[in-house]
Amino acid sequence: MSNSNFHEITSPEQFQSLLSQDLSRVSLINFWAPWAGPCKKMNEIVLELAKKYPQLLVLQVEAETQEDIAGSFEVDSVPAFIILRGHTLLSRIPGADAAALTQAIETHARIPPTPLSKTSQSPAPASNYSIADDKQETPAQLEQRMRDLMNQQKIVLFMKGDRVTPRCGFSRKIVALLESQNVTDFATFDILKDEKVRQGLKTLNNWPTFPQLIIDGEFVGGLDVVKDMVDNGELAGLIAQ
Amino acid sequence: MPINLVDLEAAIRDAVPVAHLEVEDQSSGCGENYAIILVSEAFEGKNTLARHRFVNEVLKAEIAQMHAFSQKTFTPKQYEAYLAKQA
Repeated sequence: MSNSNFHEITSPEQFQSLLSQDLSRVSLINFWAPWAGPCKKMNEIVLELAKKYPQLLVLQVEAETQEDIAGSFEVDSVPAFIILRGHTLLSRIPGADAAALTQAIETHARIPPTPLSKTSQSPAPASNYSIADDKQETPAQLEQRMRDLMNQQKIVLFMKGDRVTPRCGFSRKIVALLESQNVTDFATFDILKDEKVRQGLKTLNNWPTFPQLIIDGEFVGGLDVVKDMVDNGELAGLIAQ
Repeated sequence: MPINLVDLEAAIRDAVPVAHLEVEDQSSGCGENYAIILVSEAFEGKNTLARHRFVNEVLKAEIAQMHAFSQKTFTPKQYEAYLAKQA
């Protein structure tokens, strides 16, 4: 374990791994962007807080390059600060509110964490293997597998997580939107569980993000497009066919 | 650098005939988060995905500088229907 409690996050795997090492530890997540003025001052404050509270785990996340992490915390503007104990949300501070942030850290980090249990074992590696990883899959086979997935039912939603536990704000919103339009008969596919499909679908459908809604085997759009289709009447037409 | 709203609007008007355009800055604090409503006859015959792809292409440079961007697109007829529903 490194001496420093401050980490610049470069991947969701690193993020998850750091957060999972000690579930009783309080952590501060700083969502920032280099082009946003107020983030500069807040980043300095975050560094000072990291020095002052060595028991605090400080994770600095560049929101745009780590959009999966930002999305899972529903961060849509920067700076934004999340305080967790382990995986439990203690506090959320949107905006460059130095006073609120300092106060919140003082409150939550003051009491040193008392671990419920100690272990010298390192956490199990995150399992992100898909069934297909075990066999060799040619690009043509992958494309066929993706098309089969897209055609498994009239309406298929490729999302993060599943209908019961969506793992990102946008995925959650599109499920809620479909259900609000009485569209309930659709299959979902968790792209977090299949890295090949996740990357392959971005290329196949020429769309860089998830969720992706598929109707009659064709890519229809992401959350924003589907919202628009609800308002301009196009979705109802597609469902009815 | 903050997005220049005048340039954003000009880029849209250069690309399509505009029946109605609204541009809203939705950022709270810092961060550029814009939402537009664009009504244009150029959208006739284009489905929603095609319209979104088109706007994303026209505003590629501006969107690259934003943190978030969302759009609503209508043909003039669809916009009338949408307004009627809201009333």
